Amino acid sequence: MSPDLFYLLVSLLFSIGLVGLLSRKNLFVIYMSIELMLSSVNLLLATLSKVLGDANGSVMALLIIAIIAAEAALFLAMIIHLYKEIRTIDADEFNQLSEAEQC
Amino acid sequence: MNSLIYILPMISVLAGAFVLMLLGAKSITKTKTFNLITVGFLIVAFTLEYSTLFLEREGYLYENIFAHVFIIDKFATIFNLMFTSGAILTLLINNDYFKSRHYFTGEYFALILFSIFGMMMLAHAHELLTAFIALETASLSVYALVGYHQNKKVSSEAMLKYMILGSLTGAFFILGTALIYGATGSTSFDIIALYVENHQLKDMTLLVVGATLLMVTILFKIGAVPFHAWVVDVYHGAPYPITMFMASTFKIAIFAIALRLYIIDFSSINYFWTEMLQVITILTLIGGSLIAINQKVVKRMLAGSSIVHSGYLLIGISSIGIGSDLAAPAIMFYLIAYFLSSAGSFGILSFIASQNKQEMTYEDFKGFAHRRPYLALIMSVFMLSLAGFPSTIGFLGKFYIFTSAIDSGQILLAGLGILTAFISVYYYFKLIAMMYFYPSDKVVQKFSIDISTIMIAFIALLIIWGGIGTSLLSFLPGANGFIEIAKEAIVSLK
Repeated sequence: MSPDLFYLLVSLLFSIGLVGLLSRKNLFVIYMSIELMLSSVNLLLATLSKVLGDANGSVMALLIIAIIAAEAALFLAMIIHLYKEIRTIDADEFNQLSEAEQC
Repeated sequence: MNSLIYILPMISVLAGAFVLMLLGAKSITKTKTFNLITVGFLIVAFTLEYSTLFLEREGYLYENIFAHVFIIDKFATIFNLMFTSGAILTLLINNDYFKSRHYFTGEYFALILFSIFGMMMLAHAHELLTAFIALETASLSVYALVGYHQNKKVSSEAMLKYMILGSLTGAFFILGTALIYGATGSTSFDIIALYVENHQLKDMTLLVVGATLLMVTILFKIGAVPFHAWVVDVYHGAPYPITMFMASTFKIAIFAIALRLYIIDFSSINYFWTEMLQVITILTLIGGSLIAINQKVVKRMLAGSSIVHSGYLLIGISSIGIGSDLAAPAIMFYLIAYFLSSAGSFGILSFIASQNKQEMTYEDFKGFAHRRPYLALIMSVFMLSLAGFPSTIGFLGKFYIFTSAIDSGQILLAGLGILTAFISVYYYFKLIAMMYFYPSDKVVQKFSIDISTIMIAFIALLIIWGGIGTSLLSFLPGANGFIEIAKEAIVSLK
């Protein structure tokens, strides 16, 4: 099977993640966009591993999953903490620091 | 067994982190004790690292287990010394601040040690994925530290901003790694360097794209201008000790990996990025100055000035690309100079903040010299050093950077650097003017002698001593001695 389709899928997923990160306001959606970007890189590594006939790529993908998990723990904890503070997870509501700039 | 002596500092830092986590589970230990334990472990790590400085070294850390993942060289040792001493200074200076706030628990100090561990791994890393894991270890700890003040909204907001943007650039770093892996079939620096040497630039588009993505991450972490949106807000929102830790120690760590990548791996194609870097440098110098000029809160002004200092360091990086031998040691020297000056100035802010809990604007410094003459004097020394006045270490740092820029023929960048140094005099001297030229109706406060003030005064002395450049103390290297050590470290890279 040609790897080109996989490369296409990787670029699509990465772009969807990037656009989602830039355009969405909900913190959970932002978090999912970042996960999507990281996971698409994982897919790329797995594909390259197959294409090059080298197991290193797959091992790297496994290690990156561990890093994504660590990031997920911190991110979810942060979202819950932010929700407790002002009872919303709309990213636009967190603007105290940018207001401090104006005064 | 030979590797053990090199890995012991890292083990000591990691062990310290776990000990603090265990102690933190029970809330009977005092903050002061936590601080002492942390500093103790860091001093052990520093001493062990220093003992390896003059050993003959070759090869890799436990080569039969980790293969070529961790390299042992003088470069890594010197950077590790900087990280540990940076953390020691940060913790000791903020001793008063820790005592005045209730929210510093054992986990806080454990996170600092974890982040130092990540940075030490980063300095030793000789493989892209290891570098990524080390960078994430350090970054994730710093994200958590930025939002450590649970009941303060700006602290959480700063963490939110930093974490979203940081994870985004983390994704870019790993994408770059994957592309380089696709091009070369390996992520080890040896094989990448070999691949780069044996190919023409036009044959390795994939690798160049990957390396540029890595550079985006590095530029983001040091706060260069197109990627600077987070710097001022995060520095403002974070507690003082963390702002100090990020501004000094974390920034040095990023340069450890940047120098290693762009001096050994991509040295033969560095000219590809020169124009890109020059544009970014110009934007960083001008943009950072504009941000710093407009601030009213001193902490935000220092954040803006840290962007400008990144710009000076970028002058050095683009000089490396053109082939100046002076540039890399100059960057290391500038990192030390900036580290001392910024640690000192943030240290004074946190010392003042430990006694009154308000935000510190320029207005609050009116008549400061009449209330606390000694602190005002020391603060002036730091401001002079940040602005790059002769007889301070900041001057020598800028001198070496501009020399390397002129040496590689980048007259425009050197000229712009000098111009922004003049602009920076405005916002640094505004603080000195506020301190000295206004009367104060409050009584003179005594110079309280405790660990924080002693460390601040010690840094001020270091700055002046480094600036005068004489080796008054024969067993410690002077400023000239340090630049020699930095040169040796860079030679050990190649």
